[in-house]
Amino acid sequence: MMTSKKVIETNKLSRVFKNGEIKVNALTDIDMVIYEGDFVAIMGASGSGKSTLLHIIGCLDRPTSGEYKLDNVQVNNLDKNQLADIRNQKIGFIFQSYNLLSRTTALENVELPLIYNRTGQFSNSKELAKKALDQVGLSDRIYHRTNELSGGQQQRVAIARAIVNNPTLILADEPTGNLDSKSSFDIADLFVQLNDQGKTIVMITHEAEIAQFAKRKIFLRDGRILSDKTIEKRSTRELALKALEKPAGPQNEWP
Amino acid sequence: MAMKRLLKICKVAFQSINKNRTRSLLTMLGIIIGVGAVIMTISAGEGATMHVQNQISGLGTNLLMIQTKTEHKAGINVRMGRPIDKKDLEILQKNAVWMPNISPLLAIGAQAIGPNGYKSTMVYGVSYDYFYISSRELQSGSFFTDEDVKTAKKYCVIGETIREELFPGTDPIGRQIRIDKVPFTVVGLLTEEGSGGMQDMDDIILAPYTTIQNRLYGHRRGYTMIMASALSEDHILDAKTETIELLRESHKIKEADDDDFEIMTQIELQEITGNITGILTILMGAIASVSLIVGGIGIMNIMLVSVTERTREIGTRLAIGARESDILTQFLIEAVVLSLAGGVIGVVLGIAGNQMIYEATGFFIPTALYSILIGFGFSALVGVAFGYFPARKAAKLNPIDALRYE
Repeated sequence: MMTSKKVIETNKLSRVFKNGEIKVNALTDIDMVIYEGDFVAIMGASGSGKSTLLHIIGCLDRPTSGEYKLDNVQVNNLDKNQLADIRNQKIGFIFQSYNLLSRTTALENVELPLIYNRTGQFSNSKELAKKALDQVGLSDRIYHRTNELSGGQQQRVAIARAIVNNPTLILADEPTGNLDSKSSFDIADLFVQLNDQGKTIVMITHEAEIAQFAKRKIFLRDGRILSDKTIEKRSTRELALKALEKPAGPQNEWP
Repeated sequence: MAMKRLLKICKVAFQSINKNRTRSLLTMLGIIIGVGAVIMTISAGEGATMHVQNQISGLGTNLLMIQTKTEHKAGINVRMGRPIDKKDLEILQKNAVWMPNISPLLAIGAQAIGPNGYKSTMVYGVSYDYFYISSRELQSGSFFTDEDVKTAKKYCVIGETIREELFPGTDPIGRQIRIDKVPFTVVGLLTEEGSGGMQDMDDIILAPYTTIQNRLYGHRRGYTMIMASALSEDHILDAKTETIELLRESHKIKEADDDDFEIMTQIELQEITGNITGILTILMGAIASVSLIVGGIGIMNIMLVSVTERTREIGTRLAIGARESDILTQFLIEAVVLSLAGGVIGVVLGIAGNQMIYEATGFFIPTALYSILIGFGFSALVGVAFGYFPARKAAKLNPIDALRYE
């Protein structure tokens, strides 16, 4: 199955934060390969380094040591502008707090990555933005401003913004962290749909039932990979909703 | 390609101004107040200067005033030399080449009583030449003549303010008034000069200096001053040099000694008033600077308050692939557009304010071009600086730090 190309490849990736005298090893020797079309959930307690890992993968931060190849491009030596272009062309970011521009319509928010695109291949940015909003099921909310949308809808706008530039990789940092359970499952279900269309997705979450939607689950502890498993029984929206009605059972799959 | 990018960023900048209307308006308000206040205060100072200067040149630009030198001692003006008197007058009248008109001037404060009222005023004893020197005209009656002066006739010419007080609603020509109990016949009424700022040019009585000297001047020696007019404005220095030579000789002043008299010309008068109004302009400038600083602080405040929100916005933009230069361009455009718009509105309001003052008080204030430049320049500088530099700081941040900025 995994004969496709490597989207992410890391080799002894480490990140050390220096805060005066104190050194914190946020990540230590991460070796990880993610192939095209995968859907990976990264889990771990707070402080386990999962956010730092996502930031490095997303070219928002640089590793202290080690190598990182994104889509076969060595990323760790690139300068600021090159990193910005990679974020613009290869990565779609989804944040816990949406990070949409306030008082701005859904359409304008989704268009934004295309405005900063330097390749000149997206001349029809409005059309593409509409298409992306359609993909996340918001075609009837195009001209609504962000403050007129619910949390779930705002996150959908953020997802549309992440996919509008047809990125190699979609990164989500606790995408359901600010949402109620039902909206969370809707968003997770949307990720599954996008993944079915061939998108590679890496998602951070600390909610086990959300992680269960993914194909693969990586656990981090203290900056190291604790486990890396393929998920056998993937969850769906319907299963998750049904499970909501029952009290939490022993089927929780902690390693 | 680059052009197209700039256009796109422009669009983003205008979008941002439009979305954050309150913030944009408040920023502009600071600039509007700053520019408007500077224009109005500086222009008011300039207007006052112009007003005073007009008045002085209205006296005649070729005027000379010859006075005894006075020195300021222990709070009072003390005459230092011998007084300017009849002998000086005669020497000047006989020998002066550059001064066709010479008149003594004796000034006294006196009470004028007419049939229907009375007024404290200034009475000037002058010769017929004075009417040429001062270039004042009559609305009715006639001036007293050289002959009247020689024979010390009790004639007088009065100004409009005096007429209003002493002869309300009637023709004063040929009527009698009393100046400090001495009866005078009114022979002429001066054309209205308008209230010239500090001094009412129409609150004046002119009479032959001989009469004043005989009847009202008491035992004082000499004249208050001698007034003369040079042939033309170009010969005012010749006239001055000539007067100095004649009077030094007449006063028998040795080579090494200073003059015991003073000659004031229009040029010196203008210098003195120039000094006064210069101080006025500086004062106005100080007030204007305060309003500029207040406006500047207003701009600063609103810019700094919005930094938190803007930093997170910058973080978002960086995260989705904007380059640092994209962000900087956007913020620079925003700052420039707001500053320019605010500046233009401020200029319009400043000029309108001057116009309003003119309509309310009749005091015309010409809008000084340099006040527009100063006001506009400073406000634009503050606006752009405080719009741009916080944004530059934010754009240089690591995107993650910008996103987490509290």
